[in-house]
Amino acid sequence: MPDFTDKLRPSQPDGPSTLAKEREQSNISTEELGKHLLSSDGFLERQARILPILQQEEILSKTKQQNLSRPERFKLGLVRAKLLRRLSDKYKWSHDDYKMAEYLVDDVSPYFLHMEMFITTIREQASEEQRAYWVPLIESWKIIGAYAQTELGHGSNVRGLELEARWDSQTKEFVIHSPTLTASKWWNGSLGRVANHAIVVAQLLLPEPDSDRFVSHGPHPFIVQVRDMKTHLPLEGIVVGDIGPKYGYITMDNAYMLFDHCRVPHSALLSRYSNVNPETGLYTKPAQPAVVYGSLTYVRANIVHHARLVLARAVTVATRYTTVRRQFQDRDGDKRGPELSVLDYPTVQIRILPLLATTFALHYTGQAMRTVYQNAREDIEKGDFKSLAYMHSMSSGLKSLCTMLAADGIESCRRAMGGHGFGGGSGLIQLNNDYLSKPTVEGDNWMITQQVAGYLIKKMGAAVEGEGKGGDEMDARFRAFAREKHAGGLSWGHDILNSDRDIVKSFELRATALAYDAYEQRVIKKKDWNSLLIQLHKLSRAQSQSIMVTTFFEALSADKTLSASIKTILWDLYRLFALNTMENEGYDFFRFSAISQSDLDALPTRIQDLMSRIRPHAVKLVDSWMIPDYLLDSGGNSALGRYDGRVYEDLFNRAHRLNPLNRITFNPNYWEDEIVKGSGVEWSEILSKL
Amino acid sequence: MPSPTPEWVKALKPSGPQGSELLQQERAQSNVNVEKLSELLHTKETLKRQESLLALLQPEKVFDKSQNHTLGRVERLQRSLAKAKRLQQLSEQHKWSMEELHAANELIGEPTPYGLHASMFLVTLREQGTPEQHKLFLERAQKYEIIGCYAQTELGHGSNVRGLETTATWNSSDKTFTINSPTLTASKWWIGSLGRTANHAVVMAQLFIDGKNYGPHPFVVQVRDLQTHQPLENVYVGDIGPKFGYNTMDNGFLLFNNVKVPHVNMLARFSSIDKNTNAYSRPALPSLVFGTLTWVRSNIVLQAGGVLARGVTIATRYCAVRRQFQDRDADAHAGENQVLNYKMVQVRLLPLLASMYALHFTGRGMMRLYEENQSRMKAANSPGQDSRGAGPEELRAGANLLADLHATSCGLKALASTTAGEGLEVCRRACGGHGYSSYSGIGPWYSDYLPTLTWEGDNYMLTQQVARYLLKSARAVLAGKPAGNDTSQILQTYLDRRDKGASFDVLEEDKDIVAAFAWRTAHLTFEALKHRDAEQRSWNSLLVDFWRLSTAHSQYLVVKNFYDAVSSPELSSALDPETKALMHQLFRLYALHTLEREAAEFFSSGAVTVRQITLTRTTAVMNLLDEIRPHAVRLVDSWAIPDWQLDSSLGRYDGKVYEDLFRRASQENPVNDLTFDPYPWNSALLKNEPKSKL
Repeated sequence: MPDFTDKLRPSQPDGPSTLAKEREQSNISTEELGKHLLSSDGFLERQARILPILQQEEILSKTKQQNLSRPERFKLGLVRAKLLRRLSDKYKWSHDDYKMAEYLVDDVSPYFLHMEMFITTIREQASEEQRAYWVPLIESWKIIGAYAQTELGHGSNVRGLELEARWDSQTKEFVIHSPTLTASKWWNGSLGRVANHAIVVAQLLLPEPDSDRFVSHGPHPFIVQVRDMKTHLPLEGIVVGDIGPKYGYITMDNAYMLFDHCRVPHSALLSRYSNVNPETGLYTKPAQPAVVYGSLTYVRANIVHHARLVLARAVTVATRYTTVRRQFQDRDGDKRGPELSVLDYPTVQIRILPLLATTFALHYTGQAMRTVYQNAREDIEKGDFKSLAYMHSMSSGLKSLCTMLAADGIESCRRAMGGHGFGGGSGLIQLNNDYLSKPTVEGDNWMITQQVAGYLIKKMGAAVEGEGKGGDEMDARFRAFAREKHAGGLSWGHDILNSDRDIVKSFELRATALAYDAYEQRVIKKKDWNSLLIQLHKLSRAQSQSIMVTTFFEALSADKTLSASIKTILWDLYRLFALNTMENEGYDFFRFSAISQSDLDALPTRIQDLMSRIRPHAVKLVDSWMIPDYLLDSGGNSALGRYDGRVYEDLFNRAHRLNPLNRITFNPNYWEDEIVKGSGVEWSEILSKL
Repeated sequence: MPSPTPEWVKALKPSGPQGSELLQQERAQSNVNVEKLSELLHTKETLKRQESLLALLQPEKVFDKSQNHTLGRVERLQRSLAKAKRLQQLSEQHKWSMEELHAANELIGEPTPYGLHASMFLVTLREQGTPEQHKLFLERAQKYEIIGCYAQTELGHGSNVRGLETTATWNSSDKTFTINSPTLTASKWWIGSLGRTANHAVVMAQLFIDGKNYGPHPFVVQVRDLQTHQPLENVYVGDIGPKFGYNTMDNGFLLFNNVKVPHVNMLARFSSIDKNTNAYSRPALPSLVFGTLTWVRSNIVLQAGGVLARGVTIATRYCAVRRQFQDRDADAHAGENQVLNYKMVQVRLLPLLASMYALHFTGRGMMRLYEENQSRMKAANSPGQDSRGAGPEELRAGANLLADLHATSCGLKALASTTAGEGLEVCRRACGGHGYSSYSGIGPWYSDYLPTLTWEGDNYMLTQQVARYLLKSARAVLAGKPAGNDTSQILQTYLDRRDKGASFDVLEEDKDIVAAFAWRTAHLTFEALKHRDAEQRSWNSLLVDFWRLSTAHSQYLVVKNFYDAVSSPELSSALDPETKALMHQLFRLYALHTLEREAAEFFSSGAVTVRQITLTRTTAVMNLLDEIRPHAVRLVDSWAIPDWQLDSSLGRYDGKVYEDLFRRASQENPVNDLTFDPYPWNSALLKNEPKSKL
């Protein structure tokens, strides 16, 4: 329907000309940098291949999804997930291809747990025989599975789970039972409406020899059928359903589930590492108890690696929009010129550019963590468990820090965009809603930092007690610190403003000193664990920051391929990330002489200098993350982050032409019961739906 | 409808100890007088009013909250309009005052499509209209015969009002104004109540007379037909679409294609055009216009305390009910520990508990300052007519106080809304996994609150005004002008003592804490002044410094207001000594926790020593957490937020957290009415729905 608004244009200079100028003023090659970041595992090639296939499908268009009710939105999510699986067959996609499609569509798939934790757990924890039986069923999707660990009353504390699996030596079965309401499984993805099988983690209860008492052997995984294969209704004695609306994850059917004395066969217990002898009822212990956390570590490693692209998306939207958006003239400049791009304000830069630098830091950390995971995995397969502790602790700390950086970063980007950041057109709403689950899932960010601290305290203890040889780089550093500390001479003098390597050393020193502090408090002074928790959290954070800075530095130092222009800007990004982190926690660095007072005072000016060096390249740098407009469109449209800068045209188009609310006319008079003019939507109808 | 709950499920209880028992224990271990403290915070009358409104609203089916988070946008807004209508009917029936209507709205807990009519539309007509215009517009608006909104921000322009693009051109030939949108970015945008509900708008537009621009002015414009509710010709208006929160409000867009309105539609109390001579007369007292904004901001500060209190109430109660892990140092048979006993939970929640009290008392202080200022201005005005204005001395006195308040209000608005907004997210995360559920009651509340961080002036932009004001005050003090208000006094004190050093005993003396905050602000002010005046650095390059300065100044004001409140005779007479002592501890926790987080600035300004900071961190704050912990539940109880308003399974007064989460998931969740076919290659999506949806 044509109207007078069709001929209206945004005021000048408009988005496209602004972004064109931004792209002209930087000499870096987005193609080269994009390849450097994203081509090693075929990511870019894959993205280019999958994207056009998805864009042909009407049901995968995102423009109106934000308006739907929860049941309708869930249905749409399931329809899309089904379609993706069919496309996968049609185009013979690999698993990575499929993951790419899922990433681009950007719905949390209701099949997610089937494809991740369900099959991973079977692969890692089922016996050979069990694997032979279940893996083909799962891979062919003859059964759909979920992973049910957390309960209504228990999250991170796996040992506290209440669901019971009691061995019945008469029938050679396990009896799965929920003794309390808090034993209800809770939050388990894909289980609420979709799965018909689940890995259920329950306390293994075995009869004590020569007595009628049962003893718990701790939580163990069982594979259990939960719904009928024909009717899809819950089996007898099982109550299962979706837990209701959430902050995000609208297309995921997180579940509750209760059992009333349900019997499962002996073979339900996944028995690669631990088993119950069906004849004697005796328990065989796992070779290494920590191994049951293996898949959790894998999930955490992936969360860290994924964080770079999540944050890059938010930073892309914010950077492009804050260059297009103009507000106020420069106070010292020509008052009659156009208003300034918002990104020219240091108060906006300080919110966005350090996050831009963080996307690169996350990238290199993610790469490093994957390598560590793969190496550790290989060791474990060979029966060597010594890298497990390091990997577990590193993954805990980094998961905590990286998800916090990404989640808070998305929200900072959204707010830096002012009012429009709150609108559906920002493209950051579903991203924020979905991603904010990350700081609390797979181990609460605050709780899991204890694991890192515990590990470091132990290492420091060994160093202090002079176990003087071998070990890794950290052991050596800890020993050196303990020696110096003992000798009473602590002067380090890192030149953080002039040496990139000294920045690394400064971070290491602060983390080491905090580790020593924690060791001293806990081991020497015997302080309560509880009274130290805040300090331990800081220690974990410092250690993880140190890892991020180190991996960033090492990746840039080792690189021999990048062009000089890119290398220069990457070093600036490294410095911005490190020095900005340092400034935020300045007091800690100062306290341990990891920074001098004069350097501390100089930091704000140095950070501002770095930002003004990076500023001209900002648009090109986000372009290099190669995030297609289709993906930025998360949750129905990023008008603000469009590559072409047509921000205002797009916002208006969506409000004016795509908004279903504008198709109904309200009756605004409070004394009349009619709500929608002429449609018969009355008071009574609204009430009847309640 | 959900399937009936099997008997064996009904028989299940949460594992012990029960939430209700734990909260009872919490309440038993503290003797804070909840009733007295509630009365101090809210007054007896307000509490009584809340109780009677609650009794009236809760039984009404239309106000049911159970499906708020599952509905689609269109249905949600329809429901919201039904609520608004019912509220207005009740208001008429019970002859509610503005305060009562407002309190009822607070209990409902979400914005309604009448929101901007009832607030900004009426206020603007009242404050900026002439008596003739009051008759023409205000009286009809008060009866809801016309429904309006306030249309200022545009697609391309937010905080910078002078940059607005909508024009109003005076036509001397037929004595009308032509309202026009010359570009797409001129579209009004974000205008609450405009999208589907209002039929009138106060439109801010650039006034042009004879080709000359006189800046933005307010015009009353009818936008929809009073019968059909369709947009008038050449008016383009609609809702801007789904948002992060606030989805029960129809924020709108609005474009004009040369629409004419009569002379009387320009709100003319402060500036007007003479119909016959076409002469423009200037605003008599431009500062009064800012008065409204200042009042709005003071309100935001006061409300911020209450907003945060909802999150802290929920998180505190839930963390007292939720138990996780045994204490590492306790014996192995001990039960799991209440999450609230963990130091790292305390360090997140208890400072926020202190903050909500701090913000509340600060908001109170500002309102008092605003009212004082209003009465001084009125007194200054009273001898003559409105239009004559006051003599120069009185005016400067009023303006001086107003400048102080205006600068104060925008810095505090930024600090308070950021503290509340970010605090809610901290509360949500402190609830662990269940915080992510809508039934936690925090997420939806957070989403609705977030726009406060950017509207009425973006929090970061606002900080420039504070800095500008502080620099001006510093120059005045350096020039030897007498220190007339608090801001100049703290600057003067700093100058006087700068060469002797500070030596504040922040660990022992409460008033030294206030002095240390003042010292840091003064130090940062003179640093910024040096950069700007002596080093001639550009304004733009100093924005980050200004932002830090504004934050520091606002934190000083909160600390000072909090200190004044806890040391006031009013508080002493209202509370028993023990509760009063607890208020002092909350003050110390707020102040020392802030000091510790901003340690570097306190240290480098010379306000405190490194040793003091270390002791603050390792000893003082830890001890305060221990001291306040046993009273946490009673301290949130005192805020007296009814369960119905909290709308939270986790924050229930009775602690029946798990029962309620389970009931809502299994009985109030429409997704469970659907049985799906889970296989990708089967065309049916639902088991009882034969046709393909793919």
